Amino acid sequence: MKRFGFALIGALIILSFAAAAPAQTQSTLEKIKSSGVFTIGVRNASPPFSFINKQNERAGFSNDLAALIHKAIEKKLEKQIKLEMKETSPATRIPLLTSMSVDLITETMTDTRPRRDSVDFSLTYFVTGADFIVKKGSPIKGTKDIAGKRIGTQQGSTNERVLREKYTQAQLVTFPDQAAAFMALQQGKLDAYCNDAIQLWGLKYKSATPDQWVVVGDWISYEPYGFAMRKNDSDFRAVVNNALMDAIEGGEYFNLYEKWFGTKSDVPYPMNQTFKTFLLYQVVPK
Amino acid sequence: MIFGFLGMTYEFKWSVLWAQPHLTWLIDGLLTTLQLASISWCIAVLLGIVFGAMRTVPFRPVRIVATAYVEFFRNVPLLVWLFFWYFGAPEAFPEPVRQWFIRHGIEFWSAVAGISVYHGARFAEVIRAGIQAIPRTQLEAGLSSGLSVVATYRLIIIPIALRLIVPPATNESLNLLKNTSLAMTIGVAELTFAARQIETYTAKAVEALTSAALIYLVFCLSISSVMNWIEAKFAIPGLIARGTRAEH
Repeated sequence: MKRFGFALIGALIILSFAAAAPAQTQSTLEKIKSSGVFTIGVRNASPPFSFINKQNERAGFSNDLAALIHKAIEKKLEKQIKLEMKETSPATRIPLLTSMSVDLITETMTDTRPRRDSVDFSLTYFVTGADFIVKKGSPIKGTKDIAGKRIGTQQGSTNERVLREKYTQAQLVTFPDQAAAFMALQQGKLDAYCNDAIQLWGLKYKSATPDQWVVVGDWISYEPYGFAMRKNDSDFRAVVNNALMDAIEGGEYFNLYEKWFGTKSDVPYPMNQTFKTFLLYQVVPK
Repeated sequence: MIFGFLGMTYEFKWSVLWAQPHLTWLIDGLLTTLQLASISWCIAVLLGIVFGAMRTVPFRPVRIVATAYVEFFRNVPLLVWLFFWYFGAPEAFPEPVRQWFIRHGIEFWSAVAGISVYHGARFAEVIRAGIQAIPRTQLEAGLSSGLSVVATYRLIIIPIALRLIVPPATNESLNLLKNTSLAMTIGVAELTFAARQIETYTAKAVEALTSAALIYLVFCLSISSVMNWIEAKFAIPGLIARGTRAEH
């Protein structure tokens, strides 16, 4: 039993370190000002929001909006700030945020009420819903066809949760990242892969053979995207939201939307009137 | 209960671990981990005995084959092997076989293949070390008393070697159990997967990961206790100078 005793002492030492660390109350803006660095959480394979493009650079709609927020922070702090990007995944992004490693998650995070228990969200900057991507000619057309089928999902995503809770007959295969799941789908190891429709369109257009893939379904979930930040930091949140409002009001937002989702883009996804009205209504007066 | 945790204010909520469906995920994850570890362990030990013995026989081509296996499989990271066995190897099978695997838990069996072949190579080294620790005179004595090479190995060398290698084999077995956590990267819902699943649903990272850490700890300590017992139980009196029992 001595062995268990030693292990227990080890565990206690680690826990006491954790408990003894003082609770710092440095705000995000103070942290950015003192370190001179603004760190955003990005993704390598979530086109067209946040991904590594053919020139091997980080790019995407969320990245471009983050650049606008970066400028707004520099203006607010009256100081040149370095923009750093850190790779995240649905499973790591909240811990990275709460541990101060990342200041703002700017990829494809759905704003949900349970998530608001741990983080705060910016304005909604995009809306989509979960669909399935399947090989051309697949019998799967929507949720009614997925019973007993091998459906790929991404761990920690909202669609994974909806499928697990509402469509229990589907056989879920959950991967830590989208690249592995899409690879398994391409090899026929999955019958379909479920994610937010807009991301599936992105995957389709980024794949080697876009014609081979079809996005099907009718939004099994509602996925409003927001930028996530640490809770209870309203000064920082105001800077982020004001930057987004300025972009919507000044039209930069719509130019970026045209760049990434317009008819000439890789992922044409025309903006409907309802969404446009919703965006404009989120802008409060100056 | 609120603690300052690594510079952030963190509110502990251990009840997320036994709230449903989280408890079911943890139990299912644990069962998958144990299945994965025990099946892989059996195959790895078998491969280890065969290739470990082959590396010591007085016949060069056999030694070359065994050395090639060991060096090839132990010198590539296990994570790379898992991707290979999941994304690469199944593609080489004929379509009906591949489809059958896909319908019958391809993720799990790819993980079994990856872990057992990788740890088989490592077990082979442990067993080779055990065999080579036995004086050559034992083999010569066996041969001169009329036994064949195979019979000498089966009746004399391997039984002694297996006793010698209990401590390093324990080490290897613990590594195998812990390495099953990598299987989550190819979609196997094992214990670490379950912990991360709870973490992503509840954002209670410390509780979820602590529970997984404690479960691994308990199982590893149990294995090492059993192995200690085996070591004491099967020791051949007078054969190996042991001094006093190692203090634990």
